[in-house]
Amino acid sequence: MATARAAQQHGRLPFPKMNPPSSLPAASPAPELRGDLAMWLLIGIEMLTFGLMFVVFAVARTREPAVFAAGQAVLDLSAGALNTAVLLAGSWAVARGVHALRAGHTRGGAAGLAGGALCGLFFLGSKALEYAGLPGGEQDLSENTFFLLYFMLTGFHVMHVLAALLMLATLAWLARDGRWSRGDAHAPETVAAFWHMVDLMWIVLFPLVYVLR
Amino acid sequence: MTTLKYSSQAVSRLYFLGAMGLFLGQILFGVALGLQYLVGDLLFPAIPFNIARMVHTNLLIVWLLMGFMGAAYYMIPEEAETELYSPKLAVILFWTFLGAGALTILGYLLVPYATLAAATGNDWLATMGREFLEQPLPTKVGIVIVCLGFMFNISMTVLKGRKTAISMVLLLGLWGLTLLFLFSFVNPSNLVRDKMYWWFVVHLWVEGTWELILGAILAYLLVKTTGVDREVIDKWLYLIVTFALVTGILGTGHHFYFIGLPGYWQWIGSVFSALEPIPFFMMTLFAFNMVQRRKREHPNQAAVLWTVGCAVMGFLGAGLWGFIHTLSPVNYYTHGSQITAAHGHLAFYGAYVMVVIAMISYAMPILRGRECNPRRAQSVEMWSFWVMTIGMAVMVLALTGAGILQVWLQRIPTEGAMGFMQTQDQLRFFYWVRLGGGVAFLIGLLMWLGSFFVTAGEDEEPVGALARA
Amino acid sequence: MKKLQRLDLVGLGLLLATALTWAVGESGWLRSAGSASATLILVLALVKGAGIALDFMELREAPQLWRWFVLGWLVAVVGLIAAVRVLAGG
Repeated sequence: MATARAAQQHGRLPFPKMNPPSSLPAASPAPELRGDLAMWLLIGIEMLTFGLMFVVFAVARTREPAVFAAGQAVLDLSAGALNTAVLLAGSWAVARGVHALRAGHTRGGAAGLAGGALCGLFFLGSKALEYAGLPGGEQDLSENTFFLLYFMLTGFHVMHVLAALLMLATLAWLARDGRWSRGDAHAPETVAAFWHMVDLMWIVLFPLVYVLR
Repeated sequence: MTTLKYSSQAVSRLYFLGAMGLFLGQILFGVALGLQYLVGDLLFPAIPFNIARMVHTNLLIVWLLMGFMGAAYYMIPEEAETELYSPKLAVILFWTFLGAGALTILGYLLVPYATLAAATGNDWLATMGREFLEQPLPTKVGIVIVCLGFMFNISMTVLKGRKTAISMVLLLGLWGLTLLFLFSFVNPSNLVRDKMYWWFVVHLWVEGTWELILGAILAYLLVKTTGVDREVIDKWLYLIVTFALVTGILGTGHHFYFIGLPGYWQWIGSVFSALEPIPFFMMTLFAFNMVQRRKREHPNQAAVLWTVGCAVMGFLGAGLWGFIHTLSPVNYYTHGSQITAAHGHLAFYGAYVMVVIAMISYAMPILRGRECNPRRAQSVEMWSFWVMTIGMAVMVLALTGAGILQVWLQRIPTEGAMGFMQTQDQLRFFYWVRLGGGVAFLIGLLMWLGSFFVTAGEDEEPVGALARA
Repeated sequence: MKKLQRLDLVGLGLLLATALTWAVGESGWLRSAGSASATLILVLALVKGAGIALDFMELREAPQLWRWFVLGWLVAVVGLIAAVRVLAGG
């Protein structure tokens, strides 16, 4: 594993090149999970929690279709779609950033992580506007089942976006001295995995809450 | 002759002995209660059911606390690689705790509760009259003082020594336990808020801070008995307690379904408490995994059995039996039924009783000067494990059956539902079976206590650094 | 550089899929037709999720266990959402 990574750093496959790449498929290196295993276990439990809440939402909707339809009608679909795009852009930036760090590019790497954090910040701002823009009197968690679950899902998700962006921002700041561009990008990969999980959750949340009836 | 690494660890012996004595008292009262279910006026009016129950539950809590304290006094000097800050304080606190506890139990038994309340200042600050928190005000204050003294003692020890994952997690859990107990002094006149705060003590104890204590003790025992790398065990421990807190804190909501709090708790509580079994499952995997990867065969196999058994029974009692009634649509029907009693007994036994027993099983021989008990004694001890565990299993299965029938007769019908007392009459068969299980449990307990007095057989080889008992 | 270009293509694809989801939502197709549009939305979610999992999270090159856990989660959750709708007659 260590030699494979060392070989990757120098732009080489961990096997002697026998033929030009066009005629033979490159031998694949050993499978590697990017990011700390502990983070992946955390990601696992987060996915279980969110997954549970998603299914609960779907079931609750079948029991009160009118309430859910009415509730969904006051949500801003375009804002939701924009939020999706923003998170995806953030994921792209973070992924590019991690690759850059692995390839030894400090500035590009830090910029990628920072870009992800900025996207997260934009998401939070957009969410704040969305919450504020809900018609008065319906912003209460106990108004009806739709809003209860809407706030539970999106609120829980918002907390995770905040956590992710704080971690990304911190790492973007620390990455500037090149500590992760010297062959070990374990920490950025770990935080990146968390960010991608947060994005992944929204990918299901958005159609479930904002689009599907 | 095996000596203690740090001589001040010896104070834990007092706490373990206190715990074992109170455990026996608890179970004697437990068997009496089981009989009172069937012979309603047994011991009436000398020891009515509600008084016996109070004694049973209060003894449980006090002996478990003594067990935790003993465990901490044993573990912390070794983990911190320094002597305990003040062994003398530990001894004073033990006798204070034991004395206050004994006085309280005597108060319950000898004085009418209302008189006890009036005599101990309940009019000034009302804290009595709530389940598990029936103690008079002076006792509650005494508990706080003992806990704070204890926390001071072990915190100072850790501060001056090495900090390990195990000791830090243990400290965090114990500090949480101590601070959360302060909520027992909060007793609003609004019944809904009163119950909410009550759960801050009870839930955040057994489904929160106590899980940290449990994890730390299990980790310690696994380090000592398997020889697996501390780093591996540390990582498991951190993950387990993280999952416990992530699921358990908002999981408090599963007690807020039907007590007058807003309806959103039915959703939050259901989702998060549904995940609460996960840390217990991880503890089971953790225990089995570490034993599989062991680098030594520890001579105290009884302690290993208790340790792994604790992880399994904890998962069954707290995790599985908890899960079956944690979702709000289910709890709507099973709330406060014999299902609850089944879960409570198996969870307390599996998670907390067994971990204290495991700790005592490991430490007591060393405190008495040998690495482990003689083979014959360990054999008796391992038998006691099975008798107690199977006895408890019988009790819990009986109560589960009783609970299912109870819900079926009393809760589910939308008309013509049977009343409470009439339903209880239908459950007598289950209560007899439960009593049988309870008697078996008592026998198992006596076996366990007796195992400490079993000497080596004439033909036995000394085990480890054994001195003939 | 090949790997990076793939990442960009995936990112672009994800944005397009999002735009498509949004368009379906805005169009009112869901209000009238129900299941065909809903199926499309759910399939899009699955595809987008797979993109994030395989390329952004780099699970394509990770041990099988984690790849299947995340992809399995996607299939299970989206599948359950679909099943719930079908069972309710939606």
